[in-house]
Amino acid sequence: MTNEMNEVIRREEFGDVAVLHIMTNSVDAVSASAIEAVATATAMRPITVLDFANVSFINSAGISALLKFVVSAKKSGYTLYAMNVTPHHQKVFKMVEMSRYMPPIEERDLAAYR
Amino acid sequence: MQQVLVNIPSVPIFERVVRASADEVGRALGFSAERVEDLKLAVSEAVNNAIDHGNKRHPGKLVEVVFALHSDKLEVHVTDEGGGVETVDFSRKVVEDQNLDAGMHRGFGMYLISALVDDCEVNSSQSGTTLTLRLYRRSQDHDE
Repeated sequence: MTNEMNEVIRREEFGDVAVLHIMTNSVDAVSASAIEAVATATAMRPITVLDFANVSFINSAGISALLKFVVSAKKSGYTLYAMNVTPHHQKVFKMVEMSRYMPPIEERDLAAYR
Repeated sequence: MQQVLVNIPSVPIFERVVRASADEVGRALGFSAERVEDLKLAVSEAVNNAIDHGNKRHPGKLVEVVFALHSDKLEVHVTDEGGGVETVDFSRKVVEDQNLDAGMHRGFGMYLISALVDDCEVNSSQSGTTLTLRLYRRSQDHDE
């Protein structure tokens, strides 16, 4: 089951899993408010995956927006993962220790839930 | 020395124009793909800082970006028209539980800049602040 949350996120849900596909290629000050608007418990599931396959740029304004998902997940007791993160963005996530709150997951790891 | 100048109004969407310029300049200097990404992120942070904290998002105030291409290095000067700053904190910032709980989700920009470029410096006065980023050319870099 999929549906459009807004123009920047496409949501896919199966069982206890929600995959939030980020559709904008730039997670920055411009797209931050639209991304933050989706970071609510209702959009998330016990296992929530942010899919960065379409994302080619993330800056600190974007990281700030992504942290809203971390906060929502924490409040709900949900687990948050990041999927299809480029090596450069993996480096940046490690620099700010974002990876501790949003560890990487592989697409094949989700197969068991489908 | 060659220079590329970009002036933008203090509106966030135009940071993307500077970022695209950084991408082209980095490629023209033959930087590796990873270094081009580092350059784009550092420049993005510097420009957003100038827009938000220097010019307070006043659209009438400009952010001036100069890419100065030297034989041994790239210098990027990002200048705002704000009232200046006394200090800039480049110390390491990471996501922490207490900051998340307190709703403090920002403040990584200056740390990222300092970690991604070879060196950086700030010159500030009452008429504005210039943040200079430097990336030195390496033996494996090659001109396009």
